[in-house]
Amino acid sequence: MRSTHPFEQAEVMAYLDGEISADRASEIAQHMQQCAECEELAAGFRDLSRELSAWEIETSPERLTNEMNAEFAAAARMQPKQTPSAPVKLTPIERWIAPIHSLRGRPWVWAGAGAFAIALLVVAAVAVPNFLRARPAALVAAREMELRELQKRLVQQQVASSLENNQADERYSVSVDDKSAVATVPSPPAPGTPASTAPMIARTASLSLVVKDFAGVEAAVKAVVSRHSGYIGELNTSTPSDAAKTLSATLRVPSAQLEPALAELKQLGRADQESQAGEEVTKQYVDLAARLKNSRATEERLLGVLRNNTGKVKDVLEVENEISRVRGEIEEMEADQRALQARIDFATITLSVTEEYKASLNGAPSSTGTRLHNAFVTGYHSVVENIIGLLAWLLESGPTLLLWVALLFFPIRWAWKRVRRALTTVRKPVAAQV
Amino acid sequence: MATDEQLILEFQKGSREAFGELFLRYRELIYAFFRRRLKDTARAEELAQETFVAILRGIQRYEPRATFRMYLFGIAYKILANDRRKLDQNSGGAGSGFDLPDPSAPGHTETGMWVREAIAKLDGNDREVLLLREYEELSYEEIAGVLRVPVNTVRSRLFRARLALKEILVSVPGRSVRKENALNSSI
Repeated sequence: MRSTHPFEQAEVMAYLDGEISADRASEIAQHMQQCAECEELAAGFRDLSRELSAWEIETSPERLTNEMNAEFAAAARMQPKQTPSAPVKLTPIERWIAPIHSLRGRPWVWAGAGAFAIALLVVAAVAVPNFLRARPAALVAAREMELRELQKRLVQQQVASSLENNQADERYSVSVDDKSAVATVPSPPAPGTPASTAPMIARTASLSLVVKDFAGVEAAVKAVVSRHSGYIGELNTSTPSDAAKTLSATLRVPSAQLEPALAELKQLGRADQESQAGEEVTKQYVDLAARLKNSRATEERLLGVLRNNTGKVKDVLEVENEISRVRGEIEEMEADQRALQARIDFATITLSVTEEYKASLNGAPSSTGTRLHNAFVTGYHSVVENIIGLLAWLLESGPTLLLWVALLFFPIRWAWKRVRRALTTVRKPVAAQV
Repeated sequence: MATDEQLILEFQKGSREAFGELFLRYRELIYAFFRRRLKDTARAEELAQETFVAILRGIQRYEPRATFRMYLFGIAYKILANDRRKLDQNSGGAGSGFDLPDPSAPGHTETGMWVREAIAKLDGNDREVLLLREYEELSYEEIAGVLRVPVNTVRSRLFRARLALKEILVSVPGRSVRKENALNSSI
């Protein structure tokens, strides 16, 4: 039909039903005047409609009208008639309720509001306990901070008082020495003992450098260290032929010289990584000083006992043994104190220098089999990693996703149905004729 | 004369007369709508009443988004569909969705039974479009709105139904005599 006629048969039918545009209708009308086949088709449709009109239905029973009247009367009783012209005075509460009341017949608004309220509740249920937990945590953190501040102040005070005590002890021991002429050598003042109440900090720094020319690095590092009156704790150099050359060193420079030394070291190449840290050892130092003081006093007393002892040889030997034990302890503690002092006086720089490596073409390429094997193994690992990652993600997020799906499934399905319905329904807005 | 849309808006504002006028205009059409689709006269009457009651009770929710005819037949069609669903559930899914009338039933005064029988042979979806077009005289757009299908679907279903019905009616014996009778009665 389409091949011989410019219209589809259904269009002829739509034309007869008056369901086609005016332009198209006039075209079809013209065509039908010339086309007997289309005219016959139209006649067939007209006959059919005429034939269908033979099916008639009796008039509705009077009962229907009566029942509707009764229904209408009942409805009117339940809902008193409102005259639109009479302005209704609303109380403030009624005015507030009116917009809510006007939404009575709009279930989608209620459904949307319900879904939003549920979502809000869920968010609140998740967020509120976290918030409540966070508040005590914040309070605890603040208290801890205050305590730390307090401890710091106390330690500073202790340091100040211990220094004063040390000086007084020395004075006292000298006067005792003068009086009793005991050949005890007062311990030399600890090198670098802080004269102020500043905290004692053991400083460390870590520096990674990448250099283009590796040849002069070692000499340059040594020069920097000697310029700043430091020393090299450890130095390792690795110069493999088929990989980047590396140098790792532990340098000790006076704490005051740390910054200039680092600055000079950084000029050797490109700084890849740099970090600095400071460990406060004031408390450790003060503890050690106090213990040392006690042990020295003990030694002093034992020596006094030995001097005045006129008893048995056995007792003398016991006192001597005790003196040697205390002496050992004192030496150990002095060594610790010196080490600690060294850590405070000399900062530690952990230096790592790597040559900027340019791969040579000398190396024989891997065989195809090896490469394929390696690729397969890598691929296998990648698949396994992905599967594990996916499973982990599902286990981690699955319950939350399920919760949201359960919450939003029905509102979304309901909204989707409305949208679909709205798309299929041809809305013809009625002109505001009233 | 006020349009249907003006009347329904007046009724929404509280005019009883407007509803009375609408009821008078559509009483027969709605009753016939159910009578053509149901075997039982009493059930048809009941559902017709239910349709008007639904309009009555839902008047505050009415929004003039479509023609009143589409709104009214949309409600009627929904009530019919619910009734069929209930019937199907009660009969264990054996309901046909379209009841053939019983000519021997008391109070049966239908004419053109051969047309009725031919229509009963149509596919359910096609038949509904045909009935809404031929008897309720709804436009394609209104039918699309009532059945919630695209307009093109309405057109293709209607075309299919009309062709099929022509075929069925041609094969009905003694149809030409009936056709003449129908023509005479229509004149």
